[in-house]
Amino acid sequence: MTLSSPVITDSKPEAAPGGDDGGGGAVDRVYGFLRSIPTGFLWLIVVVWSIPTLGLFVNSIRDRDAQRATGWWKVEPGDFTLDNYDQIFAARAGLGRSLLNSAAIAIPATIIPIAIAAFAAYGFAWIDFRGRKGLFIATVSLLAIPLQVALIPALQMFNNGAHFTLPLIDKTITLIPDFDLAGTTTAVWLTHTGFAMPFAIFLLHNYISSLPRDIFEAARIDGADHFTIFWRLVLPLSIPVLAAFAIFQFLWTWNDYLIANTMIGANASEQPTTIVIANLAGDFGRNENILPAGAFVQAFIPLIVFFALQRYFVRGILAGSVKG
Amino acid sequence: MQTLERSDESASEETVSTLRRNVLRRDRTPREYLTLGVGVLVVLGLLVWSFFESKIRTTSVTVVVAVVASGGIWVGANLLFDQVRDNYQRFNAIAYAIIGAVVGVLLHGNLITVGSGEGFLPWVLGPLAGAASFGAIGLALALNDDPQRRLAIGLGGSAAIGLVISLLIRDVYYPGLDAVAIVAYTVVLAAIGGGLSYLRKRPPVGGVLLGAALGWLIGAWGGADLGEGSIATSLVATLPVALLIGTRLGISKNLDYAERLALDTRSRATIFVGPALLFIFGLLVIPAIRTAYLSLLDRDSQEWVGLENYTSVFTDRDSLDLENWTWMFTSVPFLIGIGVLVIALIVGIQMRRTTGYAVEIGNPTMAPLIVGALLVSFGVFTALRGTIINNMWWVVVVTFGSTAMGLAIAVFADQRRGERVAKSIVFMPMAISLVGASIIWRFVYAARDISTEQTGVLNALWVGLGKLSTGSGLPTLIITAVLILILLGLFMMLAYNLTRYGVGRAVVPGVLILLVGWFFIRFIGAFGTVGVGGFKVAPDGEISAQTVNFVQEGPYNNFWLMVIMIWIQTGFAMVILSAAMKAVPTEFIEAAKIDGATDSQIFWRVTLPQIATTIGVVVTTTIVGVMKVYDIVKVMTNGQFGTQVLANNMFQEAFSFTNIGKGAALAMLIFLSVLPIMYSNIRRMQREG
Repeated sequence: MTLSSPVITDSKPEAAPGGDDGGGGAVDRVYGFLRSIPTGFLWLIVVVWSIPTLGLFVNSIRDRDAQRATGWWKVEPGDFTLDNYDQIFAARAGLGRSLLNSAAIAIPATIIPIAIAAFAAYGFAWIDFRGRKGLFIATVSLLAIPLQVALIPALQMFNNGAHFTLPLIDKTITLIPDFDLAGTTTAVWLTHTGFAMPFAIFLLHNYISSLPRDIFEAARIDGADHFTIFWRLVLPLSIPVLAAFAIFQFLWTWNDYLIANTMIGANASEQPTTIVIANLAGDFGRNENILPAGAFVQAFIPLIVFFALQRYFVRGILAGSVKG
Repeated sequence: MQTLERSDESASEETVSTLRRNVLRRDRTPREYLTLGVGVLVVLGLLVWSFFESKIRTTSVTVVVAVVASGGIWVGANLLFDQVRDNYQRFNAIAYAIIGAVVGVLLHGNLITVGSGEGFLPWVLGPLAGAASFGAIGLALALNDDPQRRLAIGLGGSAAIGLVISLLIRDVYYPGLDAVAIVAYTVVLAAIGGGLSYLRKRPPVGGVLLGAALGWLIGAWGGADLGEGSIATSLVATLPVALLIGTRLGISKNLDYAERLALDTRSRATIFVGPALLFIFGLLVIPAIRTAYLSLLDRDSQEWVGLENYTSVFTDRDSLDLENWTWMFTSVPFLIGIGVLVIALIVGIQMRRTTGYAVEIGNPTMAPLIVGALLVSFGVFTALRGTIINNMWWVVVVTFGSTAMGLAIAVFADQRRGERVAKSIVFMPMAISLVGASIIWRFVYAARDISTEQTGVLNALWVGLGKLSTGSGLPTLIITAVLILILLGLFMMLAYNLTRYGVGRAVVPGVLILLVGWFFIRFIGAFGTVGVGGFKVAPDGEISAQTVNFVQEGPYNNFWLMVIMIWIQTGFAMVILSAAMKAVPTEFIEAAKIDGATDSQIFWRVTLPQIATTIGVVVTTTIVGVMKVYDIVKVMTNGQFGTQVLANNMFQEAFSFTNIGKGAALAMLIFLSVLPIMYSNIRRMQREG
């Protein structure tokens, strides 16, 4: 299984579903029924899987009283209202601003890691420097590192900068000055950039390293240097994997709660959507009726991205985790 | 996973030229024009939007400035090192000039030298002077190969620059010298520099000189009380540094062509890999090391406390509570699990007799063994309580649940009509945030006062089932009849499989009979049971409905939180396992079919062993993901009602209670628990080369 190769084709069913062709009689009918059990089971799972989301969506367009009175499955056509959506964008809930904050986190946190990781992936794949293999394995082994382990010092760095006290003479050198990033979206996307790096390098390296060697040699003979090869050959050829990573990273950063909550926390003007709706869920009773609408607005952009670009997303997941 | 081999050696010249043509062509297809157009529209839209929204504006400006600046540096570095091979003198001059400019910026920008101050001209004066003087030295060095002349240039140039700098330094910065610090730093850093050179198999003199220069710099300027010295001390502090560096430059040789090629490669590696490593070290590696250090300090990171934070985690009843371990023996899942394990034992003995192996991948022993172990562990986890136990419970249940469900869906959907639709619906939760998913399930689990209608799906079903089970209307009769029919069918299947195939094929119907039979007995209220579902019996025999508060009633509320994670992770497992299944060579399956294997035999004995490694990958990935589960617990319960997990506990300790030491210790525990997986990943990668 070399999923890491450039052409990741989505496999298509080779044959039509093996149904019972013709015949008749009780045995065939029983057999046909037994064969349909797995299909029935499959669609049962699908229904069970979609019910929670469906219920939330139905509730998001019913008013407060209807939500409290009956379950969503007893919906009536007259129930529909967009009041909840109006309320969720009203100043108190502040979801509108948080959407902008989410964009201010997710867009840079998607674009910047792609560029940096593409350089590194090319470097690891096609520049023959000493210690390349060890460095690459060290980088990729960080894939599984739980990001909790870096959160406390990262937050301290954004709060105070980084300082180092020289021994003996007791002078403190400022390695990184305090850029006043505490509680800003900038701190969040910077953190995302760092944490995304091992996965991005791993994913892009899988792809870039399996590009045919001949094109590099041909380009070298033509006198192209690494910069030209990277810019003119590797980048255009890597569009599929770049897109796969971009979608993956966008969904990840848009949906992130832990890092945003650590870096921004209670700073209301910078909170992304996840924090806002989590806070809404915190005071359950009061805002119960606008919670479904809020969750839906939060999930709207990821769902669009997901359904429009599912193929690339699946590619990213496959190439990222199945290496065997 | 099939037809992936574009990259093999057979990439003929034809492929290469096609690829290059495709890449370098100038004409674009309509589709590309469309993409381009959409892109331009999006950018324009953002621009218009940014006109109204200051948040978008500042962010865009920040990002654009950051990208342009770092991109410029990156491209500039590439262009600079393009000169190494063929224009060495130009390269040398520019490189020295850049270093000089940086020195100028540092001195002048920090207002250390005379003549610096507000305004454009004073600001650029220092950098320009630095660039000019250093660039001249670089050019002169590159033009001269004679060692004595090089030494003269190096010493002369650096002496001049050192002299000028030390005279230009403002009197408030004249350092009062501390001889001990100077000597100590110079000696130590010279030794380190020499050692490093020795390790790199270079003459140690160069390292010693540079180390000494750096040591003198730190010792003289860092250790001093600034403003207490005079021009003389300024000279003493600066000139030796300049002379040491000058000597180092003077004794070096110009690079020959091979060395220039090596420098080209090395610099390219740094340029391409460096930025990523900077981020990895700055935001992952160094913070992780610092976390390890902080976990050994007290809550304010002031005093060394050794392993106290760790021992406090393990001795805390909230983290690890083993007191009621005997409860596991009365736990229902535990007892059922023991029963299933007994079945596995019987089947295993039978299999050993017929095939020689009691347990192997895909044989009938495996399923009851895994299910039994799962149920037993479930029972154990309900008796032992605490954060650490909860995390283990999460890992076991979510990993098993999502992998098994993902595998089942991948199998059932394989090559059936509607495969794509079914799979994308199951996959969809992957796109929803964990926070959003928690809110979605919050409404599924909602429990309301029994006097009102239930608005949560699960409680509505549960209470409805209770009403059906304890009632006596027509629906109850119909369900009883259906249950009887199912049981009869299962018994027939059991008898048929037992007589025809033996014990192995009787496992599934047997287990199903136990489950359905148990439900049937409870439902009709036989053998002293009352019924099944959401109701309670008052002492006077009156039956009234009762809900389950899924989120708050322990210890099973943990399980209901895990269901959310399974709901999300199943899509992940399904996608990967489905791809792996489609990659199983069709010849294997056809060969098995020709030998007369049934569909289920093909799955258990051919497909499953083939995708075993992929299952391993899914399992390890899921374990890593589950170990750090945070969002679900935070949103659903915030760790109350006995649902605390390590990640949420860590967040609370570190950021809510500001106990940095304990928070760091908890983070380290999460890290240590995934360390074996990181290790096995490394080994796997090393094997694959």
